[in-house]
Amino acid sequence: MIGKIKEFLGFDIKEEKYALVDDPFFGKVAKEKAPDKWVRSTCGYCGVGCGLYIGVKNGDPVYVKGDPDHPVNRGTLCPKGLSEHEMVRAPSRLPGAMIKKDGKFEQVSWDEAFKKVSDTFKEVQAKYGKRSVAVISTGQLLTEEFYTLGKFVQLGLETNNYDGNTTLCMASAVMGYKQSFGSDGPPGCYEDFSHAEVIMLIGANIADNHPILKLHIARNKQVRGKKPTIIVVDPRHSKTANMADIYLPIKPRTDLAFINGLCYIIWEQGWMDEKFIKERTVGYKEFIKNIQKYPPQEVAHITGIDVKTLYEVARLYAGAEAAMSAWTMGVNQSAMGTDTVSAIVNLALMTGNLGKPGGSPMSITGQCNAMGTRESGFTSSIPGYRNFASAEDRREYANIVGVPEELVPTERGYAYPQIIEAIERGEIKALWVVATNPLVSYPDQNRLRKALEKLEILVVQDSFMSDTAELADVLFGAATWSEKTGVYTNSERRCNLAKKSVPNYKDSKSDFEIVVEFSKYFEGKYELLFNGWSKPEDAFEEWKRVSKGRLCDYSGMTYEKIEKLGGIQWPCNEEHPEGTPRLYYEGMKTWNEEGKPKFVFADWKPMEENICMSFPLILNTGRTVEQFHTRTKTGTIKILEDLAPEAWIELNPKDAEKLQVKSGDRISLSSPRGRVDDVVVRVTEAVREGTVFVPFHFNTQLVNKLTQSLFDPKSFEPNYKQTAIQLHSEKVPEGIKLKEEEIAGALGYQKQESAVEKILEKEKVGTV
Amino acid sequence: MSEAKSAIDSFLDHKAETGMQCGNYSIDIPELKPGQQYRFHFDMTACVGCHCCEVACNEQNNNPADVKWRRVGEMETGEFPDVLQLFNSMSCNHCVDPECLRGCPTNSYIKLDNGIVFHEDETCIGCQYCTWNCPYEVPVFHKERGIVTKCHMCVDKLEAGQTPACVQACPAGAISIEVVDTEEWIKNDMAKEGVAPHLPDISITKPTTRYTLPDIPEGGEIRPADEHILKPAHSELPLVFMTVLTQMSVGGFVALFLGELLHLFGLDLPAPNLWMVIAILLPAAIGLPLSALHLGRPGLAMTAMKNLKTSWLSREAAALGAYAGGVTVLAGLYALGVPEWLKLLVEVPIVALGVYGIYAQSMIYRIKARPAWDRKSTTLRFFGSGYLGFLLVAVILAMTGEARSVLALMAPMLMLGLYQMHLIYEETIFYKYLDKEHPLYYPLSRTKRLLEEHFGHLKKARLTSLALFAILLPMVAIVFAAANMGGVAAFILIVALMGATASELIGRYLFYVTVVPLGLAGNFFAGNQR
Repeated sequence: MIGKIKEFLGFDIKEEKYALVDDPFFGKVAKEKAPDKWVRSTCGYCGVGCGLYIGVKNGDPVYVKGDPDHPVNRGTLCPKGLSEHEMVRAPSRLPGAMIKKDGKFEQVSWDEAFKKVSDTFKEVQAKYGKRSVAVISTGQLLTEEFYTLGKFVQLGLETNNYDGNTTLCMASAVMGYKQSFGSDGPPGCYEDFSHAEVIMLIGANIADNHPILKLHIARNKQVRGKKPTIIVVDPRHSKTANMADIYLPIKPRTDLAFINGLCYIIWEQGWMDEKFIKERTVGYKEFIKNIQKYPPQEVAHITGIDVKTLYEVARLYAGAEAAMSAWTMGVNQSAMGTDTVSAIVNLALMTGNLGKPGGSPMSITGQCNAMGTRESGFTSSIPGYRNFASAEDRREYANIVGVPEELVPTERGYAYPQIIEAIERGEIKALWVVATNPLVSYPDQNRLRKALEKLEILVVQDSFMSDTAELADVLFGAATWSEKTGVYTNSERRCNLAKKSVPNYKDSKSDFEIVVEFSKYFEGKYELLFNGWSKPEDAFEEWKRVSKGRLCDYSGMTYEKIEKLGGIQWPCNEEHPEGTPRLYYEGMKTWNEEGKPKFVFADWKPMEENICMSFPLILNTGRTVEQFHTRTKTGTIKILEDLAPEAWIELNPKDAEKLQVKSGDRISLSSPRGRVDDVVVRVTEAVREGTVFVPFHFNTQLVNKLTQSLFDPKSFEPNYKQTAIQLHSEKVPEGIKLKEEEIAGALGYQKQESAVEKILEKEKVGTV
Repeated sequence: MSEAKSAIDSFLDHKAETGMQCGNYSIDIPELKPGQQYRFHFDMTACVGCHCCEVACNEQNNNPADVKWRRVGEMETGEFPDVLQLFNSMSCNHCVDPECLRGCPTNSYIKLDNGIVFHEDETCIGCQYCTWNCPYEVPVFHKERGIVTKCHMCVDKLEAGQTPACVQACPAGAISIEVVDTEEWIKNDMAKEGVAPHLPDISITKPTTRYTLPDIPEGGEIRPADEHILKPAHSELPLVFMTVLTQMSVGGFVALFLGELLHLFGLDLPAPNLWMVIAILLPAAIGLPLSALHLGRPGLAMTAMKNLKTSWLSREAAALGAYAGGVTVLAGLYALGVPEWLKLLVEVPIVALGVYGIYAQSMIYRIKARPAWDRKSTTLRFFGSGYLGFLLVAVILAMTGEARSVLALMAPMLMLGLYQMHLIYEETIFYKYLDKEHPLYYPLSRTKRLLEEHFGHLKKARLTSLALFAILLPMVAIVFAAANMGGVAAFILIVALMGATASELIGRYLFYVTVVPLGLAGNFFAGNQR
């Protein structure tokens, strides 16, 4: 009572709580959360892979500080990293194993959960075959965990239907690299941003998604003595476009034609690096023959970038001492993603920008360990980038891990979208989802939800309650970042150590423990696969042997060495004891038959679902710096939520006028597949008339209800970035009306009637 | 701590080799020579709008999410594809001539020798006057602590050779600490390098932050990202009551004083009586303590008089406090029945204190950071509300059977009431013809929108009630008073007093809620985060 009165009168200003004290490592820190110890670790969000220190007080993480000695981030962190400790003890954490009983989750013993799931899996497999159990995992686990999970799924559950959300994200880069180099593996590194004379960012909004990379661009001037020329290729004037010296407002999904066009000009003008092409590449002649279809006038027509600018960009790129292209989802998330990646590699090969400082094609990864899942085997490979189809690869792998060769699957399994389709068909009956939230992130949500309802069992293993977890029958509550030890591989192949610094939340278990324990419920599998494994390092040791001699070679690494060097870029072996900054330098062979990078030509194709009278706008989706993926983590952090609490729609003023809306008003979006309501309008010149942008993070305005089931035929990556939609405002509920000539004017290169229009036409006839 | 030690012994001296101040935990800056101070440099060409600085600041200072010492504003100019997005990361500008410091009634702001504008938490009473005065909206009220807090450029860190949190965190190297020669800065460079789009006039406080700006096409419209967010300002209810009640009291006292004077000069008018003094004291006695409720630390209300030298708030508190004390003493004299000349002698300083108190009260709002308040009409309005006091005295007269003298009071009362009407009309005309070229068009046009769109009905109610209770009913009361029907007149006057008080309270409420402060452009969702 007295305390309350005192507080009301203001005699207590809580000085103690807001005082600073001296910390021996980081200087002044807030007294209330002054850590007892600092644990060196790695960030668990995106693929940049920043080094950091976790401050721990009384067994809880209280601070995160950037590691000034880490080559990736040099002491800096993005807003998500800076507040990462706040999500670890969030109330939405899963407390342990849970089973849904009468529609409600009840915490149960791990034994009960494991027993129920293993019994059901066995039942389903007995009835419908081994492959009727599928696993969709993530890019969020540690490599040790991926290796353990992959091994268990492929050799324990004996199903090859094991893909990850990395297919929604990096699959096109993987397949593109495979086409061009014979193996996955990004050739460049972040240092290239500081050494390149020309930096071309294609479909990459690093300001929002990878802001720490700006540090490397900012250092460029210091390293080279002058600022680099930055070219940003993006249909939307993103925050990143602001950095550009040359901003190219390319028409949606015409990047493949754009790159082909640049190659044409470089050939036509003789600006290519002939020596490099001759000595270090294959397939050039054939490529040049094909590229003839892309003269500048044609490319200008397709891309909307004028001929003069095309020449200027080609001249700059080819003339630079070192030029790099970096890309992310704008390229990958496309029905032509794989081929666009190869096209970017073609441009690098033509201009001799490979394996040298500042010269590289470079994919930037979205998750902390998307690379790890690719390395350690999933639906399209066995561990160590090995091929299912190769008897030699299968034998080698079986010998290293000591299992019968017949146990190794002989063909690739279903990719993520194929798994969903197989569920729809009733072919897959049991699904185990690990650390991903398809009910926000997967396209064509209404269809997905229907499919998931067909399952006999849905198991979700996650650290947080999520939209997908809510639908599950059984939950495996997993430990999260800062509660477990292992390695993450970042975009530049740098393997970083993340360390356990605090006890697990309640009864949750690390993903490593969950898989190893779970295997004991399958007769003989634990003994066969994980005999004697008790800690992640046991998996790491085996993984080193499995990866030895492969491109992703870990054989020269130890945890201590990784920590000492601030991460190691694979391959790391006897030849490269401290790792390899760049792949395919002079003398390094590629993994294809020819041993040299290959020019891979592909044709640009118009959009499958173009705009039409009923759906006259193109929806582009993406991210914002404050949020990560489906917000299961960042949604628990108030300072981030305040800055981006819900989705918004970026709308050009001309379209806003047509809809009679202004910033702050709320509108609905519809596509042939669904409708999203209550999206707040942001009128901005950052988007072209006829195109809109909505971030995908938010389950409250689930924009993936609109996106289509359209996938890259090689990588199976969804075509998220272009969806024909209509908008509905209060004053103009019927939406924007296109005039016939407007369609012809804006998209004259594509005169055929839209596929959607045809479908709708048919439906109309049907209903009449 | 063995784990951390095994990696690097200590970060305190560690440099991140970025070639910039960012990333480093220790900072190298030259020692200050006389006439120099520290300042921020912000490179708008480098900033990518990632909000690292904002989050790092809150993490460093343990501040809750709604107390932000550093904010990132967004603007846009041009047309697609020739668009330019502008980000402005701003904390305190550590001004040469800080308004927060000048206005602070408790002297809680200190301009340190190194130029940092430092807020002393212990003495702050949470009056939040600095949050009104700063044209950048830098000081922010911390509810949990009951005080205002603000950016201190991590002065403790800086003095220990450590890098401020925001500077350390920026991956683009857009924020750094520099040394500036203040005289040189004000004379030569501030007008060129101290300005950025959508920031207030630098002459108000002489900010020290240096900006590196991109090439911004001239003549183009610069659109803040939070243009659509228009929220009414805080209603300050305790102050609504306090100001109206004290103005009523002082108005009543002026009427009493005039009556005393006229009576003494021998006019056949009744002498003021004890009931009048009590009736005049009452609103002040209720209003003044009420004002303490708006403080974060009501217990320390009395310390608000510390800065008579520069703070209008201190002056108001002191003058009106003394005024209320004086009226109390006067009530005692009336009760004792002392001679009239002695009463008059005491009343003269009380009138002076009261009038000065209301003047000081109005000057609190005559601040550049809040253009809608910073108009002459604010002062006039505050005095104008004094007609309530005339009504109050008239009620007492009518009730004590002095209906005739009510007539004498009604003339000045009606004049003041009509003047209030005129001020409302003047305001309406001012906003109606508000010129787009007006240098304060943005905040003033937003006040206009608040008045017309958000509070249109209330504004109408204010106008109607004023006409009814301050003009029409008193006129009716005059008729009854002239007809010597004191009872009816008293009843009508009581209704008029209550209605007019309500009308003034509504007017004052509108005054507070429709003000739009100057400040930086905001964030699309969070606005300017205040």
